[in-house]
Amino acid sequence: MSLVSPSGPTDLIGPAAGWLDAYPVAVSGGDLFGDAAEPIAAHWHKVAAGLSLLAEGDPSALQDAATRHAADLGLTFRVTGDEEERDWPLNAMPLVVGSAEWAEIERGLIQRATLFERLAADIYGPQRLVREGHLPAAVIAGSPYFARKMPGRAPQGGQGGDGHFIQVYSADLARGPRGHWRVLQDRVRMASGIGYALENRLAMTRTGGTVLADNHVRRIVEFFGQMRAGMVAACGRESPRIALLTAGRFNQTYAEQAHLARYLGFPLVEGRDLSVVEDRLWVGTIAGPKRVDAIWRWINTDALDPLSFDAKSRLGVANLFEAWAGGSVGMVNWPGTEVLETPAFAAFMPRLCRVLLGEEPLLPNIATWWCGQAAESATVAARLDELAVLPAFGQPVEGLSRREPVAASELSGAERTALLEALSRRPMDYCGQEIVKLSTTPAIIAGELAPRPFTVRAFVARDADGAWRVMPGGFARLSSAKALPTSLMGEGDLSADLWVIEDQPGAGFQPVRAAGTPPISRGGGILASQAADNLFWFGRYNERAQFVTRLLRALLDGSVEVDGGLSASTYDGTGDESGVLQALVDMLVESGAVLAPPPGQPAAATCAAALGETQLPGGVAALLRRRQAVGLSLRERFARDFWRLVSRPMPDFDLHRPASLLGAVRTLTEHFSALSGLVSENMVRSAAWRFLEIGQRMERAQGICRMVRRLGELAEAPGALGVLLDLCDSQIIYRTRYLTGPMPGPVRDLVLLDPDNPRALVFQIAGVVEHLAALPSARDDNLPEPPMRAARALLGEVQAATAGDTDWNWIAGIEARLLDLSDAISSRYFLQFDPDEAEKRTPVL
Amino acid sequence: MRYAVSHATTLEYAAPVQLAQFNVRLRPASWPGQQVSDYALALDPGPAQVTDGDGGYYVNETRFSLREPISRLRIDSRFVVEREALPFYVTAASGPVLSDLRERAMRLPDLSALGPASYIFASPLAAPERDIALWSSGFLSDAMPVMEAGRALMTAIHDQFAYDSGATAADTPPIEAFHARHGVCQDFSHIMIIAARAHGIPAAYVSGYLRTLPPPGQARLVGVDAMHAWVNLWCGEELGWVGFDPTNAILADTDHVFIGMGRDYSDVAPLDGTFRGSSQQTMLFSVDVAPLD
Repeated sequence: MSLVSPSGPTDLIGPAAGWLDAYPVAVSGGDLFGDAAEPIAAHWHKVAAGLSLLAEGDPSALQDAATRHAADLGLTFRVTGDEEERDWPLNAMPLVVGSAEWAEIERGLIQRATLFERLAADIYGPQRLVREGHLPAAVIAGSPYFARKMPGRAPQGGQGGDGHFIQVYSADLARGPRGHWRVLQDRVRMASGIGYALENRLAMTRTGGTVLADNHVRRIVEFFGQMRAGMVAACGRESPRIALLTAGRFNQTYAEQAHLARYLGFPLVEGRDLSVVEDRLWVGTIAGPKRVDAIWRWINTDALDPLSFDAKSRLGVANLFEAWAGGSVGMVNWPGTEVLETPAFAAFMPRLCRVLLGEEPLLPNIATWWCGQAAESATVAARLDELAVLPAFGQPVEGLSRREPVAASELSGAERTALLEALSRRPMDYCGQEIVKLSTTPAIIAGELAPRPFTVRAFVARDADGAWRVMPGGFARLSSAKALPTSLMGEGDLSADLWVIEDQPGAGFQPVRAAGTPPISRGGGILASQAADNLFWFGRYNERAQFVTRLLRALLDGSVEVDGGLSASTYDGTGDESGVLQALVDMLVESGAVLAPPPGQPAAATCAAALGETQLPGGVAALLRRRQAVGLSLRERFARDFWRLVSRPMPDFDLHRPASLLGAVRTLTEHFSALSGLVSENMVRSAAWRFLEIGQRMERAQGICRMVRRLGELAEAPGALGVLLDLCDSQIIYRTRYLTGPMPGPVRDLVLLDPDNPRALVFQIAGVVEHLAALPSARDDNLPEPPMRAARALLGEVQAATAGDTDWNWIAGIEARLLDLSDAISSRYFLQFDPDEAEKRTPVL
Repeated sequence: MRYAVSHATTLEYAAPVQLAQFNVRLRPASWPGQQVSDYALALDPGPAQVTDGDGGYYVNETRFSLREPISRLRIDSRFVVEREALPFYVTAASGPVLSDLRERAMRLPDLSALGPASYIFASPLAAPERDIALWSSGFLSDAMPVMEAGRALMTAIHDQFAYDSGATAADTPPIEAFHARHGVCQDFSHIMIIAARAHGIPAAYVSGYLRTLPPPGQARLVGVDAMHAWVNLWCGEELGWVGFDPTNAILADTDHVFIGMGRDYSDVAPLDGTFRGSSQQTMLFSVDVAPLD
């Protein structure tokens, strides 16, 4: 056992530390650890030893810790075509790369980024490369991302300088058997993975403790600061508003986009939040429209503006084109730059590097031939068996079932014939590519270190001076299949963190330079109307689910001791209460939790139906699902603990065991309490919090009215008022205040009119008034806006009422006015159209 | 021939729609053998803003927006056009053979909206279809000159497909019309484009008009009551773009009035745009192409 430990805590480690000693280094393929020279090999051992110490020698324990930390961060992803999000598969064993090796990669990446900037500037500018024959017109025109309307529209920089076409560039890197790094694919359209790289590092920092610092692992957070500063500088004005434009919560990497937006402090917006008025871009907020200076787009160019590009796109913003073309909105990256991403383009990169930069490529892409040229097409056909074939422009083509490269030698005879036939008719659709054998790296698989082929996505961004910076780290993807990865994460893949470690401790390791102190600010930033709408509904669904759960608890508590039949049930042991139970069931039906049950159906069966109901709108499971759906688009606003609670699955229950039903209901009750605790103790008192609260209070007010209306009718039945007090959590106050059992007048006063009872109707309305008063006004004259006037009128009426006034008609009137108030809030603060309509920006015919 | 062309479109909405914005692509782009004069576009109600621009591909695009909610919009497009007959050197030419044509198209350093490179690849409404490629391989070959290939394609479509104005909708995928063997000019043009591209022939979708009433003694052409569509094939540097009308199995000549060309219908759609809301829309139109001489 050769444990190399230059210094420090690794000396303390026992035999279990030699994780890497038992690691089977692949003989032929190349291995990141196996090939490492000193002193990096020593660092591998030191890292492994440090991690082993934390996990008491058990790789599984380390992996469990990393998985737990990743889950705590709320990391998820979606495989294309999947409905559900999946847990993030982070492998606890990082990749270790020495700083000297990394410096080479950095130089190569910066050269490529520089080249891409020049290429974009030519294609969307003078088009000299095409005219002079360095680049076939078809290589540009063949890309589905070539934006025909963009030539002649160059970005304008801040302070009158030239702007940048490319602000963020990323590349998938492969390490070949002999340790050469190659670019598999260039990316300028979206920097997917950049947020996951950050989250992986956060999770590994929590998992690895001091191991990172002990090994002088370079920090990556500064990179994000530099990238942000670069985007800010490009806007050319102080404190610009930069928004991250997402395709929405069903996008594959929505979770990543939400994390990234929160980390960078950018509002996360969808196309429908935005509008262009007189060539300027605005985001609708609860305080009226606010100017947006720049967009970091996470949608394709052709979806950005339905008027200038794809008329069917519902993701973009009408006239956004005019806003960026006129220079009033910065775009990261500039629309149309993704034309550079195609495999066909890769075939010309070495040559273009010489033409434009006068340099040889430092970090070449894997050898690629575009068949649109006769000589190259002949080469590919002749060497077919040693090459991979792929669509030249990332689009489906005849003879290839996928967009990924396929080794021609693996095709069947018929497939091969069909491919050659199609290739002869349309050679321009195909590229041949050298087959890459990926190096492996140690990964924790089933409790031990095993080699896994890997690729690394590296990220490059401009800093405040417009200079390129490379993230010292990256997003590593460990694949289980032999196929080259094309998407961020595939079925069965793992991700890992990449650690860049100084070759010589101390040398080149710079302490973090303190950034300038930012101006102090308070408040929660802007609140987009759409987000306010979602918060409001999140609050409503949450409260509605809670209301139904309370009804279920009342039903189950009363019936669980006996045999569960409604007719035979008793409540609180006092006589025949079937009227009360019937009222509770009626309320379930009125809430849309269940259909009217057949006479004689046991209460437990009705409760089980209401709990598990997903089709009717008022079932607990359905409400929690809707809450979750709305919550997804609010993810960047919620603390991780909060999100974890919200994502928790429904508790299990067994239909035939009333006790398990009651258990589920109690678990849910605790869930709601925990959530409301987090909201009241942890949520910043911003407008976002207020909309969440308004939604809850409006919903609770309606619930109280409904309960009093139903149960108040049964005042003669002694149990009815007790149930009402229970449902309104007011049993104890009542007992301390009154020596008698529940009486109609006192009960109504307590649950409707007592301003000190936080469960009373008046308390909810007072809360709404208070929150509305704290929201920004859209009026210059400071007169109250319509929702405020409606809320105050309602509050006045409830405050002035006495218990004797609160008959059935009075309550029905209050309920109707609550609905009006809800409409007034919607039309003032949310998008100007009802939620269903706002979804639809309809294309003409 | 001189024609007076008028094209009236009326859009109606069940409920008023807000923030309506439109692109209209009805002003003819300049085209050899065709002179346009007195172009006029009338809009009712009058829009807040009208901008003339370029539609990216070879087409004029007029953008306008309406401030006020509308429940009805009328668009009147009128012009006079002088149309010359196709020159003999085109009608009698055969052009390069397909294998040669492909290489020429790949070599030509022309990225403009009239260059062949922009029309040889898949486009949103004309994606490659193996069935169409196989079908066309029955009568196309690498050694065939492009003019002959174009005629063979349009004749095959004209002979094998039934014109049926009720059979397809504007958004019917070309492959469905292909399998059903029926459709209208838009379907036929898309099928022809997919077939031509499958053999590496640059092919573009042309939007335009046909003269409404035939010269005395001749039969009325098909597709005169609405806008018409046909296919431009790139036939080499010398011949350039030549129009083939698969609906009538004739070359686009004095009866055809050119508006614009793109990769497929979506690039040259006469009208598109957006509005907020989801009101039911209906469209009525009338087209008249009347000879003046």
